[in-house]
Amino acid sequence: MTSSSSSKKQAQDPPETSEPTLKSLRTKMTKSDEKKKLKDIEISVPLVYGNIAFWLGKKASEYQSHKWTVYVRGATNEDISVVIKKVVFQLHSSFNNPTRVIEEPPFEVSESGWGEFEIAITLHFHSDVCDKPLSLYHHLKLYPEDESGPLTMKKPVVVEHYDEIVFPDPSESFLARVQNHPALTFPRLPSGYNLPAPMQVDDNGKKKRGDTKDHSMGQWFTSFSEADELLQLAAARQQVQAHIAKLRRQISLLEGQNQTVKTGSDP
Amino acid sequence: MGGTDAKDILGLPKTPLSLTQEKKSRPQKESHRKPDGISREVYALTGGVAPLMPSIDVTHLKRRPPPDEKVAWQWLPVKSSARNDDLQLFHWVRVVNDVPPSGDYSFAKYNKSVDVLKYTDDEYENHLTDPVWSKEETDQLFEYCERFDLRFTVIADRFPLSRTVEELKDRYYSVTRSLLRARAQSPSDLANHPLMKEPYDMTRDRERKRALSMVLSQSRHQEKKDAEILAEAKRITEMRLAARRAAEPDVPANENIGSVSPSSNSQLPATAVAPSTLTMADYASTLASLRMLHVYLRTYGLEQMVQAASSAVGLRTIKRVEQTLQDLGVNLKPKVPTKTVCDEHLELRKEILTLLNLQKQLQYKESEGSSHREGAYASMPDTPKDRVFASEPFSFGAERPIKKEQKRKGPGRQSDTPSPAHKRPRKLKASDL
Repeated sequence: MTSSSSSKKQAQDPPETSEPTLKSLRTKMTKSDEKKKLKDIEISVPLVYGNIAFWLGKKASEYQSHKWTVYVRGATNEDISVVIKKVVFQLHSSFNNPTRVIEEPPFEVSESGWGEFEIAITLHFHSDVCDKPLSLYHHLKLYPEDESGPLTMKKPVVVEHYDEIVFPDPSESFLARVQNHPALTFPRLPSGYNLPAPMQVDDNGKKKRGDTKDHSMGQWFTSFSEADELLQLAAARQQVQAHIAKLRRQISLLEGQNQTVKTGSDP
Repeated sequence: MGGTDAKDILGLPKTPLSLTQEKKSRPQKESHRKPDGISREVYALTGGVAPLMPSIDVTHLKRRPPPDEKVAWQWLPVKSSARNDDLQLFHWVRVVNDVPPSGDYSFAKYNKSVDVLKYTDDEYENHLTDPVWSKEETDQLFEYCERFDLRFTVIADRFPLSRTVEELKDRYYSVTRSLLRARAQSPSDLANHPLMKEPYDMTRDRERKRALSMVLSQSRHQEKKDAEILAEAKRITEMRLAARRAAEPDVPANENIGSVSPSSNSQLPATAVAPSTLTMADYASTLASLRMLHVYLRTYGLEQMVQAASSAVGLRTIKRVEQTLQDLGVNLKPKVPTKTVCDEHLELRKEILTLLNLQKQLQYKESEGSSHREGAYASMPDTPKDRVFASEPFSFGAERPIKKEQKRKGPGRQSDTPSPAHKRPRKLKASDL
């Protein structure tokens, strides 16, 4: 199944940070390609989550040595509130109100402290998207890997992870609402399948912009590109395939030899 | 006891006090120990302490016959219902109070015999004629059956016309069945008779015996292969069931695995095929369970699929796959897990599994070959040292000689793999792309 999908995929550019273009996703193709059922469509939302931590330097006290922000953003810095209704950050119990509910983008929590701990980030989706929340876990990092280096106020410690939310069977209303939205990868619909036009909501003026393209800390954001990884994987696969072919030749050679030995008389 | 002896030997004076003390204590101890019914030495074997729950009822041990009974043993003639001739035998018989024991000889009850039906000529004409069997043969068969208590191997041995055991059995059982049916007053009488409930089937019997002899004559190697294949088949059927229940229609049917035939030629291809069909079912059921979630993280999805791929293999193979991935310079968990990347990653893992499988096959074939040729000891199974790709990480741009796979082999093995360094083609590097 998956092998046919990778060979049949549309040749698309890998998502780069600065390109908010629409990408049509390859549907998950099965052997019975002709009957492309609705259920083979998936919508995925590329995300980046992590934290940025600044050392407070002179202003640092024993219990407030760093100022950090933990966040979830779209991988391309687009507005993910189209899919996400609210995000709940569960901080360490030593914080005031450790359960922080963020209902509007940018989905982030900024705090000051001294300790590193695991933060549970729960994403709640709109009702037409999904009823169940999804949890991510992020270990807050304040101190740089290189322990010997001096702490600097200028350069923060940044740890970001890339992941994608996958909706394997999106509802029609969901599909209709989000078609053409840059924050997610929209599947290619089977031919003849028509979605109702999305409701035009004039939100440019009223709502605050939800994307993070101009985020104050945007300069520290990592840009994730699948190109390197794909290259690596392709090279590795070629090596392995070549080796497999070689082994197969060797085996058939040996089989031939063994046969002749078996039919011959034993010494 | 020992104390005074020792003192005696050493020539120490025995103080009168200690002597009297010992004397006093000894009889006391002995009076505690005096057993009832068993000798002192035997009692001492149990540690000299009475068991909390008497394991043997001590009174039974030296039970003597009650004094009012008079027991004598006499040499008497014996009659047994098991014998139908007039031979008179004599035994020692336990006679109590001058009354010899009554009743049949105690072992006569073991003289069981088979109830072989006897048919009349009329019955034969009406129900029992058979093209292959003549009346004389059938009569003879039945006579033997009675004589030899249905021991068909013996009957087959003595039967004048050479017939196989299965044929004899078939004839006997079908005749008896027809007779029973013919004689039965009502059909319900028959229903419980064992012969009617489970009719003898000659072909099945033949098959059963053939299969049994094949199993018995299997080499240990074949035994192992069979066990493996059966385990795989079981797993495949379970997976298929799970996948079917999950309403995923993509499970391919593979009938080869269903019928287990222990032939050496089909062994290896079968085991090579089995993992792939097994994991297809695994993937299907994993995908189905992912869909059930309605939402999941792609890294989680990949994890599940990787687990599905590894479910059919052991821990060592999993470790080897991971090692190979590292050697190839691939992240064990992709840093940028997009759909394409995850799909490629999974495909790579599958291919590595195939590669490792082929390696094993090759080693097996080589050991087979060498054992045929030289009778040499089979080569050792591959160790963690056998790594296909260089131990140094695959680097972009640098020329590195890739080490050949190291294998430990028996002596005198013909090497058919080319020598390292020059014959092996240069591995494709990323910079070539």
